[in-house]
Amino acid sequence: MDFSTLFIIIIGSIFINNFVIARFLGLCPYIGVSKKMDSAFGMGMAVIFVMTMASTITWLIYTFLLNADTSIFGVDLTFLRTIAFILSIAVLVQFVEMVIKKTAPELYKALGIYLPLITTNCAVLGVSLLNINENYNFIESIVNGASAGVGFTLVLVLMAGIRERLEYSNVPKSMKGMPISFIVAGCMALAFLGFSGMKF
Amino acid sequence: MKAIQEFTKGIIKENPVFVMALGLCPTLAVSTSVQNAIGMGAAATFVLLCSNIIISLIKNFIPSKVRIPCFILVIASFVTIVDMVMEAYVPPLHKSLGIFIPLIVVNCIILGRAEAFASKNGVFKSMLDGLGMGLGFMLAIIVIASIREILGTGGIFNAKILPASYKPMIVAILPPGAFVTIGLLMGLLNILKNKKKSQAHS
Amino acid sequence: MKDFIRPTLVLLIICVVAGAILSLIYMQTAPLIAENKLKAEEEARRLVLPDAKYFNPVSDSSTILYYEGYSSDSTLAGYVFSCVQYGYSSDVKTIVGLTPDLMIQAITVVSQSETPGLGANCTKPDFTAQFSGKNPADIYVDKDGGDIQSLTGATITTRAVTNAIHDAFLKLKDRL
Repeated sequence: MDFSTLFIIIIGSIFINNFVIARFLGLCPYIGVSKKMDSAFGMGMAVIFVMTMASTITWLIYTFLLNADTSIFGVDLTFLRTIAFILSIAVLVQFVEMVIKKTAPELYKALGIYLPLITTNCAVLGVSLLNINENYNFIESIVNGASAGVGFTLVLVLMAGIRERLEYSNVPKSMKGMPISFIVAGCMALAFLGFSGMKF
Repeated sequence: MKAIQEFTKGIIKENPVFVMALGLCPTLAVSTSVQNAIGMGAAATFVLLCSNIIISLIKNFIPSKVRIPCFILVIASFVTIVDMVMEAYVPPLHKSLGIFIPLIVVNCIILGRAEAFASKNGVFKSMLDGLGMGLGFMLAIIVIASIREILGTGGIFNAKILPASYKPMIVAILPPGAFVTIGLLMGLLNILKNKKKSQAHS
Repeated sequence: MKDFIRPTLVLLIICVVAGAILSLIYMQTAPLIAENKLKAEEEARRLVLPDAKYFNPVSDSSTILYYEGYSSDSTLAGYVFSCVQYGYSSDVKTIVGLTPDLMIQAITVVSQSETPGLGANCTKPDFTAQFSGKNPADIYVDKDGGDIQSLTGATITTRAVTNAIHDAFLKLKDRL
């Protein structure tokens, strides 16, 4: 078990190549759900779970069904990966929705429409595709999925904290809401840019 | 609504990026150069147009319970077609757009229009809606890309527009530049909107 | 039960139709894609060794070590090898053309994701041209005491290109 590779993946996906702030994946919920800290945190937890499970399932599907060298069919079906991945993610999110409804109804209500929207969260499909592009093995893919989710949650919670404070500031009328949120995101992106070039 | 309005609404009034805040991920990621912007805009418009048409055609056969998975299947198929065709015929563009080509399938604009419009309207109107929204999306990315590319490299399409003494503001091509640009543009649009409103009142 | 039959059937039909259409398009485009890839690699080799008309790969069990380039009258025009090293934020892959007496003919950077405007300029001819005519065993970045001029604000990327060529050459030297 190569722990140093895993460590690099973890630090990479949380800080250096943060999925939201550096890779531009997962922006819609980032702007949409980051108004309050609790819903941001709840959303983050759901996304970490979905991204980890999605990385697992999509890796298995790719390796055993699609990739010509390792699949049970022996035929190159990699061109079906977009369809296969997004369908499995849709099923996964449906399942997570049912579980949350049963076990944490308050969270279910707080997340509202944003829960089924995790299906269209580019970060989930994005991490699945990236795992394949980077040729990660099974463990590396799962770790990458979880770390990407943690990175997403980190930035989401930071943004929510800032936006809660912004409510009390004197933002010019035309910048209220989304414009100022994007400017804040820009400042965060500038800060995270400092992580790039980190080497171990 | 008159037919032509179905088309034009997507370009300004209900612009998917600036007004409805949909499709943000590809917009910011791909707006590093105008060439990428046009490529992504064209690909997304093609997918949007085709999926709107097909979904509008089969809308009566899709049971409401499974409509989202059906929409996703149709959209994903067209995205895969675009992916394969681009890799075969325009490999450099395919390489610079990277994973954002398959990510067109989760572009909220396409699923959003399928759910909100194509599943409830006829084929011709859905076609116009798809074209309009797609062009509006492309327009938005081109505007942002022009600003970022000119500020960040001094020119567009490898042709220098700003004088040689201009030191390129590299941060414009990097992620912070993307966020700040779209934030400022949205603010600007708000100023224009509020001005129009107060003019209408007086 | 009946509730499940119709939706499942519709989904299945769409899946089958989609799968069929996609497979058709795949069969059309896959050969083109493979051809493009080979063409791109060939073009890179021609770029760094313009006098060569065809290339012979020299392998060692399973990997291609380098290519020998021959001109139209079958004389040796030189060698081509590739090397890669991690730069600032990505692997930088370079293809190098050598003259028959093992000096650098030309280089080209074929893949990198360095900082746009800084390290990414390593692909520009202004940068790569300075490698031509140099001895690959003896190239170092100016900051390390050599005469390779580093890119503005991108010493690390410059080092990646320079040291990759240097180290790969030393490894291959005895076999050439």
